[in-house]
Amino acid sequence: MSSTPLTIEVPRVPVGPWFDSAIDWLRDNLGPLFDVIGAVIGACVDWLAALLTVPTAAQLTLIAALVVAAGLLARRGNIRGGAIPTLAALAAWAVLSLVEALAGGVALVIGSLPAPLFLWAMNLFGASYVHPPLVLALLLLAALVVVSLTATRDRRQWLLAVGAAVATVALFVLHHIVGVPLDLLVLLLFVALAQVVSGWRLALFAFLGFLLIVSMDKWEAAMSSLALILVATAVAVAISVPIGVLAAYNDRVSRLIKPILDFMQTLPAFVYLIPAISFFSIGQVPGVIATVIFAMPPGVRLTELGIRQVDRELVEAGEAFGAPPLQILRRVQLPLALATIMAGVNQVIMLSLSMVVIAGMVGAGGLGNDVYSGIARSDVALGFEGGIAVVVLAIFLDRLTGAVTRFSPAARAQRASR
Amino acid sequence: MPAVRAEKLYKVFGRRADRAVELLADGRHRDEIADLNVTAAVIDVSFEVSPGEIFVVMGLSGSGKSTLIRMLNGLLEPTSGTVEVAGTDITRLSAAELRRVRSEKISMVFQHFALFPHRTVLDNAAYGLEVRGIAREERVRKARESLELVGLAGWEERLPTQLSGGMQQRVGLARALAADTDIILMDEAFSALDPLIRRDMQTQLLELQASLGKTIIFITHDLNEAMRLGDRICVLRDGRVAQIGTAQEILDSPNSDYVARFVEDVDRTRVLTAGSVMAPPTAVDSGQDPREALRAMREAGTDRAFVLDPQRRLLGVVNADALDRADDAEGLGSVLDTGVHRVGPATAVADLFHRAAGTPHPIAVVDGSDRLLGAVARDTLLAALAPPGHDAGEKDTATAVAAGVAVDGGEAR
Repeated sequence: MSSTPLTIEVPRVPVGPWFDSAIDWLRDNLGPLFDVIGAVIGACVDWLAALLTVPTAAQLTLIAALVVAAGLLARRGNIRGGAIPTLAALAAWAVLSLVEALAGGVALVIGSLPAPLFLWAMNLFGASYVHPPLVLALLLLAALVVVSLTATRDRRQWLLAVGAAVATVALFVLHHIVGVPLDLLVLLLFVALAQVVSGWRLALFAFLGFLLIVSMDKWEAAMSSLALILVATAVAVAISVPIGVLAAYNDRVSRLIKPILDFMQTLPAFVYLIPAISFFSIGQVPGVIATVIFAMPPGVRLTELGIRQVDRELVEAGEAFGAPPLQILRRVQLPLALATIMAGVNQVIMLSLSMVVIAGMVGAGGLGNDVYSGIARSDVALGFEGGIAVVVLAIFLDRLTGAVTRFSPAARAQRASR
Repeated sequence: MPAVRAEKLYKVFGRRADRAVELLADGRHRDEIADLNVTAAVIDVSFEVSPGEIFVVMGLSGSGKSTLIRMLNGLLEPTSGTVEVAGTDITRLSAAELRRVRSEKISMVFQHFALFPHRTVLDNAAYGLEVRGIAREERVRKARESLELVGLAGWEERLPTQLSGGMQQRVGLARALAADTDIILMDEAFSALDPLIRRDMQTQLLELQASLGKTIIFITHDLNEAMRLGDRICVLRDGRVAQIGTAQEILDSPNSDYVARFVEDVDRTRVLTAGSVMAPPTAVDSGQDPREALRAMREAGTDRAFVLDPQRRLLGVVNADALDRADDAEGLGSVLDTGVHRVGPATAVADLFHRAAGTPHPIAVVDGSDRLLGAVARDTLLAALAPPGHDAGEKDTATAVAAGVAVDGGEAR
């Protein structure tokens, strides 16, 4: 005889199946939406990866033009002189590009111009025809340089405009005539960015670090990962900052999203990959989506914190002079919270980096793929080379975003007080 | 029409605010309704502020003065009662209309300055106009003007953190002035400044007010500041109005023990002015001969008299001993002592002591064109120091005698 032991049955709560059916329902009902999101994100990542690995002459010129435009629009003193022609030039470029992309209109115009005008350029690039986007980008750059030199009296803006134009020409010469490979040219752009934003130390680090990546033959993988990180960060910031603002304004929203953020941040990141695959199949897109979800919470938290930290009396001052709430947000709270929000963006980028390897499991490619293959094949060399490339990217991005903070209005004010 | 009118204002924080207002309206103290779990900040406050007046709301911390001022521009909505600004009841306005009233009619100066640290001094000063959507050139021009008014020309491109506390608050004042509103609310505007700078700021505010004539509602916990600045003062106690009146009224006839205890510590010499304590002077005409003058002085029971010219302008002082020895033929001119201290009627009594100590003559109180208004003798000064209740009636020792005596007991303010 054996006595029957007392058994307490805990009913099985089908948590997993709930999630499963919820995801099924979402896929069945919102399928087209996910397709669109997936297509947009995929296109962005591909475009950015291509830009970073093999930029075209048109893209490089465009970057130079945008740098000059940013200088024109950002400087306070230029508002009267430079902003309107700058915006006009940008708009003209956008319209012409659209016309070109939709109907090939610009190509038609160029085709009807006398050929000798372009012969030297075609010889230079070894091309058999004139590339319309490049022409447009060159025209935009030229227009902005002229605006910089005529409409403003800011010497630094002149230097920026001339420097950007010279750098563009120098890149063309280096690549098409001297024959420097493109990855080294992009590397130089990173070094220049580091120099401008942070200083020579980071520039030196960027130079050596990215050179190491090139020499390990990891450039393409690193740029693919960087593209994925940048797109994921952009999406995460675009979602998290508005939510953070809402949470700062409304205590109830704040209380509501706190546990959700905890959940998002602590659920093992691998788990996100499963529904992401079911929505977007394998590839870069589920990698981006999983990264966005995992990396978003600090963006929300620090945005809320930053806005709540803004002195109550300053907001009151805005109200007392009759400013509407959105204007107070835009002109008082966001500028003063920017340093904290940037710290959040920095965190988002760091978390994205840590997701890259995991995303490699679902075929997102890039460095994650190398590391994952290294694990699968227990190939120490492959794994470490991929890992070290991630470290270089991580340090570069961290220092770069950390240094951006010093351009924030609050940081400027603090520096001035010393 | 008053510039600002508050009518039976209540502000009670908490869920059962309406019930609390009923009980408070019956005259209960706010501590008696503690069981309702509400905070009654402002209770049954009514007043009117005339255009061009400096109206000071004075109270200790927790007396509800900050809450009160925030109801005047609609930053807080009253639980009950109405606020009229230039005839408009702002408690009935929509949010957008209320914002318009704030940007066009009322500006505000804050205790901790509340300058935007990321904007230059110029952009801070121009903020009110920017909110109103005025074109950049126009607002820059007006902001420069108001910065110049407060003495900050040349600092336009600095950031607020580069300025000292006093200068920052002058930017705050310039921001309110540039907004070009008729009414300015000042919430403990000078309380965060150190005492010397505070005095300078008070002086500057009074000077500006003399030329601009704004309606200013000034909040302070400092009674000396209230007395110095206020045309009228409203003393708040535990959310209720304890007394409203001019500085002199509150000093001389406090209506409750609370107010009386308050004014005990007031430095009366800084509140009272030469104009408010002066006595009618003994004066003689410069055309009189010494014997007539002497007789007039004996009748008035005094041994010194001011000498006035036919336009009643002050020439100097004669004393009885000198007149005794004077030759009738030479007239008063030969014994005239021109070493008389002259002060304006707005001079604080505190500033009279060292003058009184340096001369045997009474101090002459004169108007802008040197016409004699009154005299302040040493005993008058001492009597002015005594708080009300200790009868100070003996200050009327001198009497006007000769023709052409100017007796003007009008208030200095």
